[in-house]
Amino acid sequence: MASTIVTFELAGREVEVMVKPMTTLQAVLRYQLGFTSVKEGCRQGGCGSCTVLVDGEPMMSCLLPVEDVAGRRVTTLETITPDEGVHPIQQAFIDHTAFQCGYCTPGMIMISKALLDHDPHPTREAIVDALAGNLCRCTGYEPIVAAVEGAAQATAGKGAPR
Amino acid sequence: MTVREYLSPRSLPEALSLMERYGPDLLVMAGGTVAMPLINDGISLPERVMGLRHAGLDGIAQRGDVLGIGAATTLTQLLAQDAVPLLREAARNTASWSIRNMGTVGGNLFTPPPGGDVAVALLALDARVRLAGPRGERTLPLADFFTGFMTNALAEDELLVEIQVPTTVRETAFIKFGRKHANTPAVVTVAIAVERRDGRIGTARIALGAAGPHPIRVADAEAAIVGSALESDAIQRAADAAMRECRPFTDAIATEWYRRRMVGVFVKRALERVVA
Repeated sequence: MASTIVTFELAGREVEVMVKPMTTLQAVLRYQLGFTSVKEGCRQGGCGSCTVLVDGEPMMSCLLPVEDVAGRRVTTLETITPDEGVHPIQQAFIDHTAFQCGYCTPGMIMISKALLDHDPHPTREAIVDALAGNLCRCTGYEPIVAAVEGAAQATAGKGAPR
Repeated sequence: MTVREYLSPRSLPEALSLMERYGPDLLVMAGGTVAMPLINDGISLPERVMGLRHAGLDGIAQRGDVLGIGAATTLTQLLAQDAVPLLREAARNTASWSIRNMGTVGGNLFTPPPGGDVAVALLALDARVRLAGPRGERTLPLADFFTGFMTNALAEDELLVEIQVPTTVRETAFIKFGRKHANTPAVVTVAIAVERRDGRIGTARIALGAAGPHPIRVADAEAAIVGSALESDAIQRAADAAMRECRPFTDAIATEWYRRRMVGVFVKRALERVVA
C-alpha cells in the first residue's frame, strides 16, 4: 500500500497531498485539508452532500479517487466564500431560510453555483433538475429553489462570481 | 481501504497491457458510480483497480450512419449530442447532474438492474459493442453482450472500448417510470424504436429495463406490432405479450407483481407515443 503524492489546484493554489491508493477526494478535502464543508454523507453518490466542482463541473467527491483529479481545479464552498462577507448564493440561502440543519447546504450551494455558471437565468425546471441529486430532509426544497432563483436575480445574469 | 494500487492508464494499449499483466483480479472502473459505492462500503475489496478516466476512451464521432461512442464517454457528453434523440432522452432520465458528469456510457452496460437505463435505449437501437483484447478487436450486437445478471460476453482479458449506434432510426420513444420524477431507480424502463414501410411497421425493437436480469428485448411483443399500423388492438397485443415475456424481480423499489403490470402499462404508453 505505497502512498502516492497527488497535486491539484484548490483555492488558487497548488496543493500536494500524500494519500493511500484510491483515497476519495471527499476524504482528502475534509480530513486531510480541513475543508469541512465537504460532508461525508452516504458515500454512495446518492445524497449530494459531498458535491464539489472539478474544472467547474459538479461531481460527487465521495466517488472520486483523488488520483483522478491530479492537475485539475477543485472548487468547494470554502474556496468561493470571500474573505469578507458571503457569496451571493450564500446570501440568497440566508435570505430565503433555505436550510434548517444545514448538512446539505454546502452541496446545494455548489450545485447551484455550477448551474448559475452554466445558465445565469435558469428556469424553475432547470433549477429543480440541477438539484435532483442533492437531498434535503428538512426544507421540502421550496426555499432552496427560491434561493437559487433569488441568487440568479442578484447576480443579474453576470453569473456567480468565483 | 485495502486497495494496494490504483492504475490510471493513458491509452488503450496501456490499459490492455495492464489487464494482461494483472489478470482477472484487476477491477476495471470508469466513472466510479457503480464500483466506488461498493468499495466505500467494503463490499468490494479489490487489490488493484484500473481507472479509465484518462485512458482516452471518451468522445463521440459520427461515421456515416453510425455514431461511435467511446466507452468512457460520460452521460453528460451523451446528453449533449443530438444525432440520436432516444439517447438524449435516456441520458436525461438517468441519475443526477453530478453523477452524469462521472458515469459513463460503457459503465452503464455493467450497471445491474434496476439501473442501466441508457443500456435499454442502446438495446432498442440495435447498438453494437466493440471489444478489444490482446488478440485484437471484435464487435458484437449489444443483445449478445448481456448473458445474465451482472455477466456478459467479455473475455477476462477484453475491454469494452466503443458502442456503435445506427443513426438512421427515426421513430423512437423512451419512458422511465420511477417512484420520483428524477434521480431514481426504475420501476420499469421502456425504449422503443420502429421503422415503417408504407405506413406499416417493418422492424420493431421493444427493450425493457428492470424487467429481467439485464436489459431485455421482448420478441413476442415486437412481433405483435410488425405489419400493423400501430392500431390500438395491435398495441394492446404487444403490451400483453410484453407482460408475459418479461422477467421482473422484487426489490426495495417495486415487487415483481407490480413491475409486470407496469410493463404492460408503459409498453402501451410508449407505443402510443410513437403513434403521436
